[in-house]
Amino acid sequence: MHPADDNSSSLHERVAAWVRHLEHVLPAQAPIRNFVHHNTLHGLQHLTFPAALAEAARISGARPWLDEVQSRALHAAGRIDDSDLNAALDELRLDGGAGLAGLDECLPGFPALRRRDVLRALLTHDTCPPGPAKQQWLQDEGRLDTALWAACACLEEIPATAAGAVDGALASLLEAIYPQTPQVAAWQQEARMLWSALVARVGSEWTLSSLLLRLTGENVFDTVRPLLIRHLSSHLDLGMAAWHNPARGQGFYAAWRQSAGVDLGWELDELVAARDEIAALPTDPVETIGRELMHLGPSEAHWGDYLERLALELPGWSGMFLWRDQHPQYAGSDVPVAMADYLAVRLVLERLHCEDLVRRTWALPLFLSELGDHFLAHPAELWVRHAFFAGLLEEAPASEAQRLIAAEQAADAEWQRLANAAARTPVVSKNARWSCYLLAQALALSPAALQAAGREGADALLAETRRLDSHQRGYVWLLAYERHYRQQIFAALAANHGRSRENQAPAAQLVFCMDDREEGTRRHLEEINPAVETFGAAGFFGVPMYWRGMDDTMPTALCPVVVTPANEVCEHADDAAGLALHQRRRALRLAWKERLHRATRDSLLAGPLMTLLGAPLAAGAMALQTLAPAWLGERLERWRSAFDQSPATHAAVSVPADGAAKEPAGTSPRAGFSDSEQIERVAGFLRSIGLTERFAPLIVIVGHGSNSANNPHLAAYDCGACSGRHGGPNARVFAVMANRPEIRAGVAAHGIVIPDATWFLGAEHNTGDESITWYDTAVLPPTHQAAFASLCKDFDEATQRHAIERCRRFASAPHNPSADDARRHLVGRRHDWSQARPELGHATVAVAFIGRRSMSRGAFFDRRSFLISYDPLADAAGHVLEATLLAAGPVGAGIALEYYFSTVDNERFGCGTKIMHNLAGLMGVMEGASSDLRTGLPRQMIEIHEAMRLLVVIEQTREVVTAIYARQPPLRELIGNGWIIVAVKEPESGAIHRFDPAAGWLPWRPDDGAASSAVPGVPVAANSAAWLGAHREPLPPALLEVPA
Amino acid sequence: MSTLLCLAEALAASASLIWLVPLLPFIAAVIIGLRLAAGVAGDDAEPATVAVARGAALGVLVLLSAIVLGALGATVPGLVSHGEWMDVQGIQVPISFTVDTLSLSVACVVAFIGWATLHFAAAYLHREPGFHRFFLGLCLLLAGMLLLVLAGNAVVAFVGWELCGISSWMLIGFADERPTATGNALFGFITNRIGDAGFLLGIGLSFWWLGSVEWSTVAAGDIPETVKARLLALGFVTAALAKSAQLPFTPWIARALEGPTPSSAVYYGAVMVHAGVYLLLRCEPLLLQVPDMMAALALAGAATAIHAWLCGRVQTDVKTALLYATVSHVGLMVMACGLGWFALAHVYLLLHALWRGYQFLLAPSYLQLAPSRPAPLPQWLAGNAFLYTAALQRFWIDRVAHGLLTRPTLTLGRDVREFDDQVLDRLIGAPREATQSAKEGRAEPVQGNGVAGRALLRLSDLLQGFETRLVLEGEGGAAARLLHRLGVALKAIEALLEQPRYLMLMVMATFVVII
Repeated sequence: MHPADDNSSSLHERVAAWVRHLEHVLPAQAPIRNFVHHNTLHGLQHLTFPAALAEAARISGARPWLDEVQSRALHAAGRIDDSDLNAALDELRLDGGAGLAGLDECLPGFPALRRRDVLRALLTHDTCPPGPAKQQWLQDEGRLDTALWAACACLEEIPATAAGAVDGALASLLEAIYPQTPQVAAWQQEARMLWSALVARVGSEWTLSSLLLRLTGENVFDTVRPLLIRHLSSHLDLGMAAWHNPARGQGFYAAWRQSAGVDLGWELDELVAARDEIAALPTDPVETIGRELMHLGPSEAHWGDYLERLALELPGWSGMFLWRDQHPQYAGSDVPVAMADYLAVRLVLERLHCEDLVRRTWALPLFLSELGDHFLAHPAELWVRHAFFAGLLEEAPASEAQRLIAAEQAADAEWQRLANAAARTPVVSKNARWSCYLLAQALALSPAALQAAGREGADALLAETRRLDSHQRGYVWLLAYERHYRQQIFAALAANHGRSRENQAPAAQLVFCMDDREEGTRRHLEEINPAVETFGAAGFFGVPMYWRGMDDTMPTALCPVVVTPANEVCEHADDAAGLALHQRRRALRLAWKERLHRATRDSLLAGPLMTLLGAPLAAGAMALQTLAPAWLGERLERWRSAFDQSPATHAAVSVPADGAAKEPAGTSPRAGFSDSEQIERVAGFLRSIGLTERFAPLIVIVGHGSNSANNPHLAAYDCGACSGRHGGPNARVFAVMANRPEIRAGVAAHGIVIPDATWFLGAEHNTGDESITWYDTAVLPPTHQAAFASLCKDFDEATQRHAIERCRRFASAPHNPSADDARRHLVGRRHDWSQARPELGHATVAVAFIGRRSMSRGAFFDRRSFLISYDPLADAAGHVLEATLLAAGPVGAGIALEYYFSTVDNERFGCGTKIMHNLAGLMGVMEGASSDLRTGLPRQMIEIHEAMRLLVVIEQTREVVTAIYARQPPLRELIGNGWIIVAVKEPESGAIHRFDPAAGWLPWRPDDGAASSAVPGVPVAANSAAWLGAHREPLPPALLEVPA
Repeated sequence: MSTLLCLAEALAASASLIWLVPLLPFIAAVIIGLRLAAGVAGDDAEPATVAVARGAALGVLVLLSAIVLGALGATVPGLVSHGEWMDVQGIQVPISFTVDTLSLSVACVVAFIGWATLHFAAAYLHREPGFHRFFLGLCLLLAGMLLLVLAGNAVVAFVGWELCGISSWMLIGFADERPTATGNALFGFITNRIGDAGFLLGIGLSFWWLGSVEWSTVAAGDIPETVKARLLALGFVTAALAKSAQLPFTPWIARALEGPTPSSAVYYGAVMVHAGVYLLLRCEPLLLQVPDMMAALALAGAATAIHAWLCGRVQTDVKTALLYATVSHVGLMVMACGLGWFALAHVYLLLHALWRGYQFLLAPSYLQLAPSRPAPLPQWLAGNAFLYTAALQRFWIDRVAHGLLTRPTLTLGRDVREFDDQVLDRLIGAPREATQSAKEGRAEPVQGNGVAGRALLRLSDLLQGFETRLVLEGEGGAAARLLHRLGVALKAIEALLEQPRYLMLMVMATFVVII
């Protein structure tokens, strides 16, 4: 084999490996119409939680912890108290937190001061030394406690850098460059070290453009970004534009080359030779990647890192490109998307523009060695440029530096003179003394005590200020925050143990989605009618399927994203004539709507005509939307259905008679479920939620979905277990299956005997406006009509009360509304175009309960809990639990973690404010017209979220859970790495243990330390409404005095 | 019957209140501005701001409806004058308003869209840091547009014109933490200065040649010399083309989409983008006198329509796509004006504003509104790589502009700075020399060069002595305290001025006073 061939094939492999690695660092969000919650740091899930967050902070510059100011506010508000912080410090020590041994020892020189207290004071008080100007001001204005300040005087002699309070990256750089206070003679030496230090960072931390940015102040990427995004967005477009690159079918690299080759912009940007260079590029993108990397000059060991850096400059678009690379033929698209194409284009653009910048600035070719030679000859220039852009110069030298940098030609002598003058500016720091002073103030130390402790004591205090790094501080706050709420949850669970009895003859049983938004509905329903039982399960109800509704052109997968359904269920009209009429009417309506919206945008001739038609409608709609959005919305819906004349339908659940023999061919789904499949689904599902006996006459399966107007993130409010769609069809299909006598007979063979008097009903609950749709009520047996009517009444009452409960968290909702007002408000929110918060989604989620409803029934959990039904007593081996954990664990963790990350740093992990969003390519949102594709949740969705990890409480014995943990690697990753917190509640004793990956099971004790069955401190209220009162803030759990 | 007559009379008289129409939103803007200056913030401050803004818009709507009803009964009053504003060498500029079919119909549409958008923004922008700033901007736009539309003369119209420009700049840069947004805001602002220059040219020539700036005189443009008429028309046409983003001024509007969705709707979809067309409609008689200008207009309009249509085909984000649709349709209106079909352009303006405003407000739900793929283009076009690239790069217009305008300006700036350093600083005693003199071990911190420099040095010595004696050695330092307090106040003002928007407001205020 030719050596060159060998080389290039190995390059192919290496590029493929680098692309695979990118999966760990780029956002993995699907196109927005398939938005499903997932762990933002999914790619780092193999690391422990704190390690992954530190890594994410390193690669993206985001802050993965709640802002310390907010944490302190929570502390001040009593949501975190000192005992939580103490416990968190202990836990961090157990986790192997460096230097946290001896927390209860006293500080040298301070006999009454434990280190724990010092660390706590450091967390709850801001002890960062103020900036020099403020220091001066505080001193001049006499705002200091002079005695205390004087007592800290002994610290003045400490070298400035030891204070360690300067921002981390800057400090390390400072230390590298300025071992001591800069001296006149030293800058030349520094300059020489500086160049090698800077070059060493290219590849590992920087791109070449980042280096040039630090030397010229010009960001090459600002020029590249709009050019690149236009091409990218056109290539990935899912149907917004009518005109795409003619060479789109040959892949991004080829398409870009063809377009860039005829782009006159190069000449206009004075990159004269660029077009020839593009024409001369290799046709193989991988070869281009190799050539360009060679040219750009990072050391070969860092090529992968360099590509990662480049991709991370535009994380949203890079992530979407990679996602499409991994999901070819998404939405029927035949456009080839290969990540190597993108990287090749990105590299060429980077090189061309960097080259241009270097030529304009220094009249040099783009080679690091040439630049190095230049700076070897002109060290002063390097030193001044770097110091200026790093913000290290004082005002006068800085303005001089700016002049030199802007000048077309500056003499070396001028640079040198400036370097000499600037380097002499002394840097005097009193940071050490300030840290000590502020800490002493926070600890309320007396000047005398400080004086008595002397230099040794002051040094000890100072040492404590450096004990925790920023990640450890963030982690301690998180642990404390989680613990505070966890204590309340555990106390409520313990107090609720054994309170509710099993009802031997339930009036109705309702199976909801595990969704936290259903907790309120269920609680109110049970309060209204104690004879009603509720269950919770992942909202596809054990029926993974492709669903093709009567009006759908394509089937949709209704199941968790990780599952590929094998069966397809169609909705059929009962009467063919009705269907034909309906289809004609609907097609007509949609065609006109489409014509109005499209022609006015697409057509120069038909556009004006359509505008003339549309304008009066638009004016009317705008006026009515402004005056009465709810009225207009409901009226429009009514008119639409009156016009469409939807016929009655049924779901074709079973395999059609003629298709029975047809086996699934490859990946294409099979029409309907066979009888044995149906039996398996029904029996399996009933067993998993523990509903195997005591069947009520009416069992309702309630899916859910949410509608909102004018909301690109629509899918984020729907059912996560149904891939971000409405879960109603699954409920309907399940009910149809479970009502078939053949299926019941088969289920009975599995040991689950469903009495003939039991009828299953499907329904969909709209979590936006609290409305409910019942399916197939026409075939409800007359014997069940009365029970159904009574259930409808209860359900209506429950949603009314729930609407009131929900209104308390909306700022614009009326205070203490009547039931009617509350419902009207919710309906208005749903239909209002201008409402950026149609509902709050999972914003309040914090905990998941897996167990019998008796665990949580009769207690108030403020819509903060996933409720998953599971009967521990019937599952001694833990197989049911294992399946439940495997299905619900990642879904719950994904939701909670996405909310967590979008909350702690909404700019980096979330997608910022909705009001700027601009739908791009039908696949995501940008800010303005040429920004990165924004991933994560918008600010409007996370405002009231309390950023903590999901606490999963399982009703089962420790042994069973430990065994499952041991045999399931995905759960080991999730739980063992601390992405969720797991606790068990023993079914019999009610004892609660929390799992710590390092220490094993830790028994829970209430805060006062008394291990008794009577749990103090859990408030009791008459009912939900009484406990809610007029509160608008999150409420702690409470026990409700309802007959259980 | 008599009550009906009374009502009719009252309605007819309401036209004399026309001055209130632009004033109401302006007052609302002032109130919101004052609240902003007082530092209002938080959820509780929002309803008051919304109430002020929406109250003003509703007032405008009611007033306009009354005037329209009155006008239906009788004839439109035409010109309503409210005294002199200024008198420059015998040429009077009255505060006058035009009340005719054109102005009333456009004003009604503007007020309606403004009112609906203000309502939309109240919920949409809830809890945004720039909430009050947004309402300030929108009220200013409303005041500006209504003033422009209802103005009786070119000077009053120009004030409205400028208010629109400023508020547009404010809202493009709404997300002032994002450099792209502020940069694009500046780009739009600067491009619009060219249009303003055209407008000012028109006003100046009207003064010079016609002795009046009243629309009735200017637009009639009763000038026998075609050259003069052509020059006069050129001014207004330039202004109109820039404001309505016609070629060659199109690039600014494509970069103006950085603001929140409702502001994109009201500025670039519904209201402000039509201001140029309105100006053309106003100048109809003048334009009719210069057929070659009409032909140029038709050409510019047609070229813009095709340009924007081509660019619109490749746009993949909904706001830019809608924007290019808007520009192409406005291009059609300009073309209609050029062809002399002014009535058609007028009607189309009204309907297009309503429809496009609606479409922009609903842009976030485009995925639900028009989910199917657009119809493919004919193969000869779709397969043309060069045309595709040209459309994708928007025919390179903004980069040509960058090359022609920005770079020379930057170079000029550098030259001026050089001059400053080399000549002026030497003349007055450059502080830049301080570093050198200090190095040479001189005692004085500042050394004066040249006559002026030495004089300044002497003065500074004197002041230094005064300061030492009075302030530092003064009894109890009362003067120092006083000065300190003054200093704090000045600092606050300076901080305000440092924010470009206040500086620009000041500049504009000066501008208005000068006129």
